[in-house]
Amino acid sequence: MRRWAHRTHLAGLLALAVAACAGGERPASRGGIAVTDDAGRRVTLAAPAQRIVSLLPSFTELLFAIGAGDRLVGRTTWCDYPPEALAVPNVGDGMPPNVEVVAARRPDLVVLYRSGPNVTAAEQLERVGIRTVLLDLNLLEDLGPAARRLGVVTGRRAAADSLSRIMDSLAAQPPAPSTQSLVFIVWDNPPIVIGAGSYLDRLAALAGARNVFHDIGSPTAQVSIETIAARDPDVVAVLSDSAVTPRYAARPEWRAVRAVREARFLFLPGQLFGRPGPRAAEAVRDFRRRLGAAP
Amino acid sequence: MKYVLLAVAALVTLAAAVLLGPATVPLGDIVSSPIVWQLRLPRAVLAFLVGGALGVSGVGLQALVRNPLADPFLLGLSGGAGLGAVAAIALDFPGPWALPLAAFVGAVGAMALVYRLGLIGGAELDPRVLLLGGVAVGAFAAAITTAVVSLAEATELRNAFLWLWGGFSGASWTTVLVIAVYAPLPLVVLAAAARPLDLLALGEEPAQYLGADVRRVKRLVYLAASLLTAAAVAVAGVIGFVGLVVPHLCRLVWGRLHRTLFPTAFLAGGILLAAADTLARTVVAPRELPVGIVTALLGVPVFAFLLRRWTVS
Repeated sequence: MRRWAHRTHLAGLLALAVAACAGGERPASRGGIAVTDDAGRRVTLAAPAQRIVSLLPSFTELLFAIGAGDRLVGRTTWCDYPPEALAVPNVGDGMPPNVEVVAARRPDLVVLYRSGPNVTAAEQLERVGIRTVLLDLNLLEDLGPAARRLGVVTGRRAAADSLSRIMDSLAAQPPAPSTQSLVFIVWDNPPIVIGAGSYLDRLAALAGARNVFHDIGSPTAQVSIETIAARDPDVVAVLSDSAVTPRYAARPEWRAVRAVREARFLFLPGQLFGRPGPRAAEAVRDFRRRLGAAP
Repeated sequence: MKYVLLAVAALVTLAAAVLLGPATVPLGDIVSSPIVWQLRLPRAVLAFLVGGALGVSGVGLQALVRNPLADPFLLGLSGGAGLGAVAAIALDFPGPWALPLAAFVGAVGAMALVYRLGLIGGAELDPRVLLLGGVAVGAFAAAITTAVVSLAEATELRNAFLWLWGGFSGASWTTVLVIAVYAPLPLVVLAAAARPLDLLALGEEPAQYLGADVRRVKRLVYLAASLLTAAAVAVAGVIGFVGLVVPHLCRLVWGRLHRTLFPTAFLAGGILLAAADTLARTVVAPRELPVGIVTALLGVPVFAFLLRRWTVS
């Protein structure tokens, strides 16, 4: 811990030195920009951000979607969409962010997902004079507000507002009549499933599938195989890029679940389904198509 | 008398484990229901066997190192098992049994290393050397494990820890068979050492004078208790507390003779773990609690009560 603090302190000095070489502080502008982020902080910028580091794949996608992708000077290892994002320098996995690497990109704005370690990282970046925005992005309804504020700080308001309206209307849609029931199995031992407080539960509802664990309020929960068997979902949804049957399907205890026994697995590629993003409507359509094609 | 009492408690616990669960099974269908037959019953039996194995292993190791804080996992086994489990995921070993098997190999590897350290320079499994060696090997294995998890990109690795924290989600007749075939040998070895272990409590030299082959007994007990724990890890992950507290509990109630301690610790450990697992499955349904939490919530008050009675008298 001490060593870490020491390292980030060094990073601060380094970034300050870099900033000093770059010509010192900008003059405060009257026509500045201001937004309030989800940590309740007022973030002010003199001018639209020109050098942005995005520390969440969803933000990277949103920035490209509103036409600010060319301002990105840093992204995480996980930011793999759109393909142009791969040309942006990688600043690590972001869990937690390596503040020194981020600062070395000399950004004028860093966009972070609001989590405990990220709040600390944001404070450290602010201390070396780099502006930060902390945004929530867990659910479908978080996309609109996030896009709107990214539009303000990048000066791409018109594009962002129209994207936000699409996201908001998708989030306001009532669930489609469900034709199938499903369970999202995230891990098999102990069995972890996805509950109502999640993006995927909502996507499933919009695509016409009922999550059998919709009564669990949290995003994920540990349950017993017996509970899954008793709720008897039609399909097991798995976040996976390859359509390879999970290993646990061969284990005797899992054969008690009908959908596992009948190998009714639905594979959802992580790039489209693993995170909330501007392609949510596409994800719903794709989900519906996969449900229709499910064995 | 105590055996009748424990046997009745064991039967009640197992019956409750079979009757209770998040799925509703009509009483008439209990025998034919696949939920009971494929999920509840093997799970209850596995929890009981693992609890028993950990209880007995704890008795053996506490006698061996003559330290009340000794726990079956103290001697580096949990660290080794963790490393094995993480290696299985990181290296993508194929097959549904890769994870338990790798955990078992890791635990046995750590045990072998500690055993070797315990013999260095004619130390002859000196308790102090064993304890320090165990802690050191465990810490080293845990450090490598954490390094692999933090450097590797597979998010699955984080879930390896969930498995490691223990539980009976993976229970099936196959896992029951694995432990039922494997456990008897170390159990018999430990039971046969009951008398020499009683003597060992007097100290190594007096035990030697009274006719115990101290060297041989220590080696056998160490290997048997560790192999028993490693098997428990393979089928249920690292379940703490049972192996630490059950031996003390039995000692407080039924005395220090190992002839009594081994069987009572087996039954009491089994009862505690089977009951804890039933509660873990049912109290927060449809969700499930990690069994280790329930074991501690159930066992600590009982233990505290007995401890109080014991220190007062």
